[in-house]
Amino acid sequence: MRTLRDFTSDSAHWVKEQTKVDKGATLLSVEEMSLAYDSDAGRISALSSVSFDLKAGRTMALVGESGSGKSSVAKALMGLLGSNASLKGRAKLLGTDLLSLPEEQHVQFRGRDIGIVFQDPFTSLNPGMRVGQQIAEPLIWHYGADPEEAMRRTVAALAAMGMPDPEQVATAYPHQLSGGMQQRALIAGALICDPKLLILDEPTTALDVTVEARILELLEQTRNDRNLSMLFITHNLGVVNRIADDVCVLYAGEVIEIGPKDKVLGNPSHPYTRGLLASLPLLRGERRRIAPIPGGFPDLRTRPSGCIFADRCPFAEADCTSTRQSLRALRPGHEVRCWKSESTGAWPEVKRKGTRARPVASDTPILEARGLRKVYHRRVPGGGVTWEWKAGILPLPTLQTEALAAVDGIDLRLERGEILGIVGESGSGKSSFGRTILQLNGAYSGQVLFNNGDVTNLTEAELTDLRSKTQMVFQNPDSSLNPRRRVGEAIARAMRLHDKVGGGTREDVERLIERVGLPQGYYDRYPSQLSGGEKQRIGIARALATGPEFIVCDEPVSGLDVSVQATILNLLEELRDELGLSYVFISHDLAVVGHLSDRVAVMYAGRIVEIGQASQVQAPPFHPYTEVLLESAPDPRPSAVRRENKLQMRGDTVSRSPAGCAFAARCPRKIGTICEETAPPLRTFDGGHTIACHISPDDLVRSPQYPESEKDRTSDSQ
Amino acid sequence: MLGVLIALSLLAPFIIPYDPVALDITSRLQPPSTAHWLGTDEYGRDVLSRILMGGKLSLGLGFAATAVSLLLGVPLGLWAGYRGGRYEELILRGCDVLMSFPPIMLGLLILAVTPPAMWKLIIAVGIVYVPATVRLTRAVTLEIVSEEFILAARVRGERNSYILLKEILPNAMAPIVVEASLRVTFAILLGAALSFIGLGAQPPSSDWGLMISEARPLLDSAPWIALAPGFAMGLTVIAVNLLGDGLRATFDPKLRRHN
Repeated sequence: MRTLRDFTSDSAHWVKEQTKVDKGATLLSVEEMSLAYDSDAGRISALSSVSFDLKAGRTMALVGESGSGKSSVAKALMGLLGSNASLKGRAKLLGTDLLSLPEEQHVQFRGRDIGIVFQDPFTSLNPGMRVGQQIAEPLIWHYGADPEEAMRRTVAALAAMGMPDPEQVATAYPHQLSGGMQQRALIAGALICDPKLLILDEPTTALDVTVEARILELLEQTRNDRNLSMLFITHNLGVVNRIADDVCVLYAGEVIEIGPKDKVLGNPSHPYTRGLLASLPLLRGERRRIAPIPGGFPDLRTRPSGCIFADRCPFAEADCTSTRQSLRALRPGHEVRCWKSESTGAWPEVKRKGTRARPVASDTPILEARGLRKVYHRRVPGGGVTWEWKAGILPLPTLQTEALAAVDGIDLRLERGEILGIVGESGSGKSSFGRTILQLNGAYSGQVLFNNGDVTNLTEAELTDLRSKTQMVFQNPDSSLNPRRRVGEAIARAMRLHDKVGGGTREDVERLIERVGLPQGYYDRYPSQLSGGEKQRIGIARALATGPEFIVCDEPVSGLDVSVQATILNLLEELRDELGLSYVFISHDLAVVGHLSDRVAVMYAGRIVEIGQASQVQAPPFHPYTEVLLESAPDPRPSAVRRENKLQMRGDTVSRSPAGCAFAARCPRKIGTICEETAPPLRTFDGGHTIACHISPDDLVRSPQYPESEKDRTSDSQ
Repeated sequence: MLGVLIALSLLAPFIIPYDPVALDITSRLQPPSTAHWLGTDEYGRDVLSRILMGGKLSLGLGFAATAVSLLLGVPLGLWAGYRGGRYEELILRGCDVLMSFPPIMLGLLILAVTPPAMWKLIIAVGIVYVPATVRLTRAVTLEIVSEEFILAARVRGERNSYILLKEILPNAMAPIVVEASLRVTFAILLGAALSFIGLGAQPPSSDWGLMISEARPLLDSAPWIALAPGFAMGLTVIAVNLLGDGLRATFDPKLRRHN
């Protein structure tokens, strides 16, 4: 790989003296950083005495849920805090205290000595500027490089990020690149001045798992090549496991555990870290009940005098709330802010309420889709105009349209009481499928049967039965509730509309609110007064209000923190068992889907490539796409095997091949032109496990990636 | 402040010191004095009295014309944003046609074909501002329609009318009302402009625009006659804008979060 320095060795007059930092020396040392924000509601303490050291060439992961203050650390280091922030402490980067620098000197560091990459690649690039110009900007700004030279280095930097055609990318506008490409361009931009420290704030959260896996790989490789130090901010413990050397767990602005990755993830010591790991559904794990962390974040206007986590901790005793906790070393380099972490046991398990319902196969599935196909037409930009001749003389213009089959021929049966998981990446058509079966997407072809009654393309007036018996739970708790309506009224309205569960009186509504695990008195609240998890509970209560039999859950937990996600998953499961509901559960997260579902369908480009029992889909034989997904999915267990030369998809975007297999163009196990030309046969294995693939069943079973290590892995997972 | 102005306009008949249309040839063109606080015009009419009486006309025109534009524009905008497709095209192209005329020309066009009258002025000014209302309402609606709670309402089988009136409209009101409050001031100014060119209020009534128009030839010798209604108008515009800000503060749920 060509490095940036190669390019500048001959024309290096503007390159600053590189301070050599030895591997293993401390590059960044944060000491006692405290931060408070002034808001209308009073002074909020965001960080309290945060200290950590980052060594050269190492990666420190800063982990925490939303509100833990992890992004505030990044902003403080970059000097990007707003005027309402007051900051104390020191953060020394090679002897310079970043926190006390005046703005005009901070500018010198930003982009030159510290690179930063933000979460959302789609909003981090200026849409009106060519990508190359944006990447080259810091070179010109910091070193006064001439634009031509800067552009040469930009192209080289893009090439170093594994971009197939860097010249073209440099002259493209951001919208012409995929999310993964944009994020790579941003990383290239953050590294263009060859900084010593790279701060990454949730850099892969907005990306699909397969793209995420490649970005993480790229980051690791870059770090090794350049002796770069990375501060990696994330909420995802699986990502931490893949990239970090050291982990620093933040809770409510305090470092509660810090140490080497293998120790913190493999042998977590603070109850909060244990709770986080316990509330994560695991891939290929046995189906244990996930154990959420009760309660919510403390009010940060007044920090409690004792342990910050005491009110949510199952091991808390009187001493915990009275004595302030300090970090103490368990072993060299591994510190924990808990005085009794050795004596506490494992995170308590949660007992299942009642028995797990089992779906029963019958003649009357609750829902059946036959050959479902939903095509969107969209105007092609610059696609041109064709002229039609009406009545022989009138030329009538029609714009060229492009047809896109979001759902491309799906046959599915959903039994009563069954949870069918649908997993796929963005653009796979999983949400379109959910909306189409609920008759929300306009006309489609194929057939949908609900309770054996044909509901295909009925008018709204003919759908009353379906409308009361089917419901939906949405992804985004912030947008799924009407902000101007008290949550109780929203539920009451849904009850009254179909007059099913009670008459929609206040008592009925409050009973339902209680049923989804919220305390009394929430009736009169507005959505803005609720937390994300509470909003999601109200969303579920509203769905239950019409007395449904079948609910489409469209990514109901992807907007939530890990500990909240666990409580919502448990609630959904309980409701299914108790009320005999059936779900179509849509998610991009294979671990979540596998945890909750009875059966799992894997979707790619509008088609189902594999379907089977949850355990079958997570074990060989695999469809090649499922295998790639499993390979890419981050796993928080340090013991999870990381293979070199793993399966990788080709290309960066979903490309469709209408005639053959949907996945043919990107398949790492493609066997020939047959994949693109002929529709793949359905290979059926035990118990209804079906894979649509040209590879012979025997070869599918002999998956190259999973020889016999399966047993080891399951025994690793506690 | 606006309250004071409205109160003054409504109470004008009782508090004015002189009859606004009474001619007094002996005291023509007098500068402001203790007897006539804002002086008198060329016919000896008291300027203060005329302004106070005219306030009712101007404010009334502003609010009534805005109401007309809201009544026509909001439903069209909601429908365009919610249904999209053919309806949207039709409504928006109609708006484009209206918007392609300069406001004064459009007002002129509507008023010129029939003899001027106050209610026609109100309708004319209202129609001038319909396209802006439609476009704003549509833009706000488009944003709300993509929210999941609208889909939730469709999932449970709500009628379109319910979704439009109960789910979308309350959320769209804040920007519409704030914009409408600014619209009031534009309407007052446009109304005054139309009166100024003789198509609105007719002499001897004391509309502010008409007063400025009448005082124009005397601007050199007796500037107070034109300046006073001008100031009154400026004051009203500021007052209405402040009202708009206040409305936005109360309407925005984000500003009420910490109750």
